[in-house]
Amino acid sequence: MISSLNAIVPMLCVTAAGLAAMVAESFRDPGERMPIAGLGIVGLVGAAVATLLLWNHNVSSFGVVSADNFGLFVTWILIIVGALSIAFSGPTVERERLPAGEYYALMLFAIAGMMLMATASDLLIIFLALEVLSIAVYVLTGIRRDSAQASEAAFKYFLLGAFSSTFFLYGIAFTYGLTGSTHLDRVGSLIAAQAMAPTPMQLLAVGFLLVGFAFKVSAVPFHMWTPDAYEGAPPAVTGFMSTGVKAAAFAAFARVFLTAFEPLRGDWGVILSVVAGATMIVGTVVGVAQSNVKRMLAYSSIAHGGYLLVALIAANDVGKGAVLFYLLTYAVTNLGAFGVIAVLDNGDRANDRVSDYAGLWNEHPGLAALMTIFLLSLGGFPPMAGFIAKWYVFSAAVKAGDNALAIIGVLTSVVSVFFYLRIVVMMYMTSSSQPLRFPAVPKIASVALAVSAILIFYLGILPTRVLDWAAESISTIF
Amino acid sequence: MTTYPILSMITFLPVLAGAAIFVCSERVARWLALAGSLATLAISAPLYSHFDKGSTGLQFVESVPWIPSWNVVYSVGIDGISLPFIFLSTVVSVLCVGASWTAVQMRVREFYASLLLAETAMIGLFAATNLFLFYVFWELMIVPMFLLIGVWGGPRRIHAAIKFLLFTLAGSVLMLVGLITLLRASGTLDFQALAATRPNAALQSWLFVAFTAAFAVKVPMFPVHTWLPDAHTEAPTAGSVILAGILLKMGGYGLLRIALPILPDAVRLFRGPMLALSAIAIVYGAYVTLAQTDVKRLIAYSSISHMGFVTLGIFTLNRNGIEGAILQMVNHGIVTGALFLCVGMIYERTHTREIAAYGGVAKLAPIYSTFLALFCLAAAGLPGLNSFVGEFLIISGAFDTRPWYGVMAVWGVALGTTYILWLYYRVALGEVKPGLRALRLDLDLREVATLAPMAALVLTIGLYPESVLGFLRTSVAQLVVASAASAAVVGGM
Repeated sequence: MISSLNAIVPMLCVTAAGLAAMVAESFRDPGERMPIAGLGIVGLVGAAVATLLLWNHNVSSFGVVSADNFGLFVTWILIIVGALSIAFSGPTVERERLPAGEYYALMLFAIAGMMLMATASDLLIIFLALEVLSIAVYVLTGIRRDSAQASEAAFKYFLLGAFSSTFFLYGIAFTYGLTGSTHLDRVGSLIAAQAMAPTPMQLLAVGFLLVGFAFKVSAVPFHMWTPDAYEGAPPAVTGFMSTGVKAAAFAAFARVFLTAFEPLRGDWGVILSVVAGATMIVGTVVGVAQSNVKRMLAYSSIAHGGYLLVALIAANDVGKGAVLFYLLTYAVTNLGAFGVIAVLDNGDRANDRVSDYAGLWNEHPGLAALMTIFLLSLGGFPPMAGFIAKWYVFSAAVKAGDNALAIIGVLTSVVSVFFYLRIVVMMYMTSSSQPLRFPAVPKIASVALAVSAILIFYLGILPTRVLDWAAESISTIF
Repeated sequence: MTTYPILSMITFLPVLAGAAIFVCSERVARWLALAGSLATLAISAPLYSHFDKGSTGLQFVESVPWIPSWNVVYSVGIDGISLPFIFLSTVVSVLCVGASWTAVQMRVREFYASLLLAETAMIGLFAATNLFLFYVFWELMIVPMFLLIGVWGGPRRIHAAIKFLLFTLAGSVLMLVGLITLLRASGTLDFQALAATRPNAALQSWLFVAFTAAFAVKVPMFPVHTWLPDAHTEAPTAGSVILAGILLKMGGYGLLRIALPILPDAVRLFRGPMLALSAIAIVYGAYVTLAQTDVKRLIAYSSISHMGFVTLGIFTLNRNGIEGAILQMVNHGIVTGALFLCVGMIYERTHTREIAAYGGVAKLAPIYSTFLALFCLAAAGLPGLNSFVGEFLIISGAFDTRPWYGVMAVWGVALGTTYILWLYYRVALGEVKPGLRALRLDLDLREVATLAPMAALVLTIGLYPESVLGFLRTSVAQLVVASAASAAVVGGM
């Protein structure tokens, strides 16, 4: 009996750490410093060890959580996301006088929810995980209670998120009505056994689930909440939600659509192609017009969602691992970029306008260099990881015959280089009249930034091992 | 044959030196950059001494699996076509380090690191034997060049850097699309394998458009040349030298390495328009050059004209034309690079690039003016100096196939002589301009040492062109035969 808990050990570790953080907070005197973030790291290390031990064992708990390699790979990504986010959170928590226990506990609960979402093999569990992570992230978005902007962002995010959850739930209900089950394997086999032509019911079920996922991965036209939420949240939280939520949502997206609804691929493939194309174009084109770095990266992350959708559509024999590899590189790169923004954030000024970056090179050459690496990787320059990831996605798309998507992808990524390099131009080529003032960079944050940069170069120059892992992992689900 | 991985060593030594620069002081940085680039040049010596001129295959080949699951290999090797460019890259890099010794005073370490990163990208590009690697180095070149122009350039440097970036990226995106399509059609990215299994004629046309767009931006061919004058003018001296010396050659090299052997049917199809664009570049570039009042801009426009000769030579598709084109690229790299060095040296003293501000420099700076005269005469195509040989071969190649284009080229040579000698006349001869007399205009030893190798190359290639042509003869012959024969085979099917 106890052995059936194996598959959920990683999330148990993280949850335990979250609970410990809450308890610690209640014992903390006001103003006392406590290494609460350390608890989170301990929990994540525990989860990492558990994940390592579970690798290749393909265990399942309660029949609804399956720790296959696909789920574990995403769990790994989430552990990296969690560790980096915690490392970048320190200055924010301290400066904004946020309750450390609450903040880290929410973050850890969100990670646990994400892990559950990545490994769940039942639609209801996926929904449960979705809610766990969403509620934690809504609160994190508005955790700066005295900031009107943050509250507005959290409220917007919450309303639209709740709305999308009902769509998702509706989709589950239709699926249950069709097949009498919410378990992905059974849904898949029953749909495959049903009549060849898709029935309206099937299309409705697929459509509602699609809308629910599209909200979470901020695909066009369900992306409206993204820029506001990203701008309003503290940068460390933005980095966390732009990568963690996306990783978890894409994991579930891939699992549901590539296993249960695989027989209907011909139908959802078309819709998703249109969505992916629109997502890439809107994210990039609107991104060009932004003058706030966080909003710009919000649109960039919408565009990257589009590339991930292309990877999902093109998930053939060649492109199988593309989703996972892209998620990993995107997570590391985007978190790094938000890490720099978080470090520059300075109590009374967020320093998040493009023009604030003028002359950063003179103030802090190291930060400027790191930001350049992250931005170039997001833009897909070799020898950074972003290049390999994009190459993987686009070549998979071409192999799958989706030439139009590949061409849109290539074109939009060039346009995106233009706005990424705007920041580089600011940092290196313009000097500002008043130097940027920001607090000293904490050691942990600089280590985390350096680790991200090293990972980016590692994945860009010697990607073989991780590529193979990604391809093997995803082959455990389809 | 040598047993150690010489090509990888010369490719990655500069970037390692560039990384090492960050841990030393600014004073040491210059010396380290010089040491790194000189060591690269020294290590490359066996490439020339051990090169088998009679062999048609690749030499000094190294091949290591890189991403096995995608069948991507790290493979480098050289033949007669790539060797001159590697030579040019290593030499020009050393001279760029020398030329920036006193000119760059701001952010010295970052400057030299960018320069050395650019060297790695250039050498890697010319040594790559598969398209994936070629593309990686192609893209890698963009970032340091962008920084060199945008950080250390003149007053309008940001405008120039962004213009450079937009044109280059527009080209490379098309190349990426072509690359992925080619991979899908042929299942390989190895140059030799691609040349053996060509895509069908219809696909070739599309691929030709995609690749040639990228190369044409770099060359730059008319009408996508407009980024060049800005980039050249605003870049620091070393940046201009690298642009003129090597970056432009990446485009010509790409045409020779990819378009001709892999897409021969499309090359035949598009030959007429390409020749016409080349001729326009030669004549139009020359006329625009005549109208310039800024020295750097003048040389930049003359580059467009000179690179028109290169594309003209390539698309004659005969041996003379192609050999001439390669030689012209080398010569242009040397001569234009040297002219930019000359301009940079005098600019450091006078801080003006207006031709009208100069005059009578020969009286004040005899050594400088001698060098300038030599390079100007070389640029004008004086027999006995290097450019003459290349231009002669190109023109004779053109007369063999399309005589009218030969006529256009001759016209271009005549105009070229006019604008370059007129430039020399205005700068060096005539009345001494009052502002110049107070300045110490003549060269110091370091500057002489920077220009002397260029002068030696001008004379060596001019008097004994076989020193370059000997290396490339076999490879060019093979290229011409292979592309012609296969076109017939494919056309017959």
